[in-house]
Amino acid sequence: MKSGSSLLDAELHKTDPRVKLIAAKLKKENFKPDALIEVLHTAQNVYGHLPLNVLAYISKALSLPPSRVYSTVTFYHFFSLKSKGEHTCLVCTGTACYVKGAQVILNEIESKIGLRPGQVSADNQLGIQVARCIGACGLAPAVVLDDEVQGKVTLGEIINKIIDKMAAK
Amino acid sequence: MNRQDLKTIIYAEKAKVENNKYKHKIGVCCGAGCISSGSEEVLKKLQEEVTTRGLDHDVEIIPTGCMGPCNQGPLMKYLPDHTIYQKVDCSNIAAIVQSQIIDKKPIEHLLLFADTREKPFRDAREDPFFKSQLKIVLRNCGQLNPERIEDFLVHDGYQALDKTLCEMSPEDVIAEIKHSRLRGRGGAGYPTGLKWETVYKYVNDQKYVICNGDEGDPGAFMDRSVLEGNPHRVLEGMAIAGYAIGATKGYAYIRGEYPLAIKRFETAIKQARKMGLLGTDILGSNFSFDVEVRIGAGAFVCGEETALIASIEGKRGTPRPRPPFPAEFGLWGKPTLINNVETFASISPIIINGGEWYSEIGTPKSAGTKVFALAGKINYSGLIEVPMGTSLREIVFDIGGGMQGGGEFKAAQTGGPSGGCIPAGHLDVKMDYEALTNLGSIMGSGGLIIMDQTSDMVDVARFFMEFCMDESCGKCLPCRVGTKMMCDLLQKICDNRATQIDLDRLEELAIYVKETSLCGLGGSAPNPLLSTLRHFRNEYQNRLIRHEQKDQIEVPSNIQV
Amino acid sequence: MNKLTIYIDDKQFQAEPGKSILEVCREHDIEILTMCHLKGVNDVGACRLCLVEIEGMSKLLSACTTKITANMVIHTKTERIKKYQRITTELFFAERNHVCAVCVANGTCELQDLGYKVGMDHIRYPFLFPKCEVDTSHPWYVMDQNRCIMCTRCVRVCNEVEGAHNWDVKNRGYQVRIISDFDTPWGESITCTSCGKCLQACPTGALWPKAIVQGQMKKNPEIIDELMERRKMIL
Repeated sequence: MKSGSSLLDAELHKTDPRVKLIAAKLKKENFKPDALIEVLHTAQNVYGHLPLNVLAYISKALSLPPSRVYSTVTFYHFFSLKSKGEHTCLVCTGTACYVKGAQVILNEIESKIGLRPGQVSADNQLGIQVARCIGACGLAPAVVLDDEVQGKVTLGEIINKIIDKMAAK
Repeated sequence: MNRQDLKTIIYAEKAKVENNKYKHKIGVCCGAGCISSGSEEVLKKLQEEVTTRGLDHDVEIIPTGCMGPCNQGPLMKYLPDHTIYQKVDCSNIAAIVQSQIIDKKPIEHLLLFADTREKPFRDAREDPFFKSQLKIVLRNCGQLNPERIEDFLVHDGYQALDKTLCEMSPEDVIAEIKHSRLRGRGGAGYPTGLKWETVYKYVNDQKYVICNGDEGDPGAFMDRSVLEGNPHRVLEGMAIAGYAIGATKGYAYIRGEYPLAIKRFETAIKQARKMGLLGTDILGSNFSFDVEVRIGAGAFVCGEETALIASIEGKRGTPRPRPPFPAEFGLWGKPTLINNVETFASISPIIINGGEWYSEIGTPKSAGTKVFALAGKINYSGLIEVPMGTSLREIVFDIGGGMQGGGEFKAAQTGGPSGGCIPAGHLDVKMDYEALTNLGSIMGSGGLIIMDQTSDMVDVARFFMEFCMDESCGKCLPCRVGTKMMCDLLQKICDNRATQIDLDRLEELAIYVKETSLCGLGGSAPNPLLSTLRHFRNEYQNRLIRHEQKDQIEVPSNIQV
Repeated sequence: MNKLTIYIDDKQFQAEPGKSILEVCREHDIEILTMCHLKGVNDVGACRLCLVEIEGMSKLLSACTTKITANMVIHTKTERIKKYQRITTELFFAERNHVCAVCVANGTCELQDLGYKVGMDHIRYPFLFPKCEVDTSHPWYVMDQNRCIMCTRCVRVCNEVEGAHNWDVKNRGYQVRIISDFDTPWGESITCTSCGKCLQACPTGALWPKAIVQGQMKKNPEIIDELMERRKMIL
């Protein structure tokens, strides 16, 4: 657990361009508390995850109690409190992909790369995630590598692609 | 813009189409499925090819919405003849342009389903995949550019809104929708006209229209395709609803997993505002309406209407007990109408063609058509639209082209994690709300997953239970603890560690959770379990061990002895 | 205003419109079991103990959140309801790690009372044995997640009565937990006023003062409603 009181005192780094993006969104939403989720989307997009000091900043800006912000963040799968790695590999485990072997892909990733869903490699190069359905059922099984959808993936091919990504840095 | 201005624009656009300088029109499917198969490169390459050959003035190229057979993508359609090419890649574009446009002869072996059908059809509309379908909701998907409002206007776009504002009273609109017997396409099938009338009757200075685009069922992508392929149609439906119930503000709640749908819908809103089809005094009437997009953040339970409202209000998406229903006490406590994407997309055809016309399609109790997302162990998967009452056999064997690899049909899962399965013995079931409910399943939002003999039904039930356990919001006890316990018990059965006592407990819990949960998620979470128990009980029984075989008391792994 | 006629367990009653089924039942000493209900704060209908059967309705409805309507016919003690109350109670006990013998609230615990009322002699479901934290960072109070039943009475009291909103709920599904601020130690909270109302609101021994030993906890959850009534008079 991090210290609560010290968190809200911590100002975000003023020169960080990402803070400006959040500030712009806050302004656009008129600092309305009900825009919390929209603002969190923006923050997650620019940070890749939601660090606690960013949450503290948003909580202050929208005049929302800290626990209310934290509870909303942890409710939605889209929001993540932890960094997800330089590269991300998201395996769709929707019904169509599941029927066509999404689990086999996950098993292969675990045996070849040693990472399970939700884990990030020790060098922070790769994070493995699962999605409940990315809506590409016609292309099952589908994997999203760094925001790029790979349809009808085969085992060898996808593992090679992941290894290439990790090596490319 | 007033009514006359709209007419002028449409005439001008239609004239443009009629005096078309283009001799040829090629659509490239830019639905999410085809884009991930590489259709954007195809689009680029095609443009280059046409330019290189100096055909810019003869060939019009449009990016379209979903054409349907998603697993054959990227798809390319030569529009005057409805000739569809499948699995197009950059290497065979030159050949297609040469053959189709210059030589006026399609390349047979690249046509849709050429690799699986004895003889593919030059006019794709003749193919059984399309022939058995009736497209109302998806009518213009795959034919028009979803990012151009003008394309939509040419295809009778906003004509229904024009008609409602100028010729109909709110009561007339509601009467027409009631007459059509349209039922909510989100899953429960509540009569749409009745819902509208209820909200209309509550007197309030502010009411809201919400479009539920939080399509969370794994294996369903109908709403996504409609939002991506024809966003203006949904927008028009929302505006008509706003007029009918007396709302001036609408929200479209679209799941965050669908960035393309969000982008296209936002584009559509901007275009409609610019043309005065959203905003104040629409088409010269005194009706004002505007729409805002809200992006979902990954919670299946937000498909439940009260949870969706909480989410729009920026809170945890936890449902609350009903009554009061959103029609009385909805978004920010105001009367609110919530309908699904597909429901809104059905509105304008009903207004234009009349409720009578719509009510004659389908079955007596379930009128109209239903869009299904067909997937699983089937030859042709993708997006289809059929009249209510079409048999499952027709969908699987005529449209879907039969089982993949000559497998044997075992069951079809409808309604996703809230639904159930239909076993082979009921292949001739006429798919409508009542028939599916009688079989212990539900229509749901339209996910249709076909399974063959290799599918393990206990594992399927466990898969869906795990889904519901993960997606339970945790507010009410039966769903929070019940789904976890049922999931553990199902895992125990899958691992051949369970006894008859475990199965009895499981069944008791299933009925308890179904009847006592606060919202529809918990209320329907046991459905896949109960349905597979009903049709495939032997698969459960075969896995049980006799009580005497239990040689030791199990200690949960997280406890140290 | 005209009173409405309603029927509860085959007896006729007159009640004011706008009242919940639970309120009317409590007025007439008809027992309805509750856990998440606390007079003085808003009802959420989360524990599902107060479910009643209403004729003409296919679903069971929670008495605390359902308002009465004219000629409503309500049944509160059918076999089905009794059976479900028993399962609910068992699930409450199986969800977290409840050990009455070492609990401060032993004897004053609403969950324990509930077990007696439904006649629970054993628990038929496997215990989940979750790993739960005990937060002792506050100078005076302790929060023990092992004994929490997620009724959220503390959350609502803190938000609606005290106005501090120190408490909220994190995660979802069976992984929900009560949190203080950013899931940070209670003792470091920047919102908590240490008013102690949450301790009074808590039905079990999840929230308790450090100065109390096993079985010695005295609770007065009625104080919350009394507070709200007094505030109305000031205004």
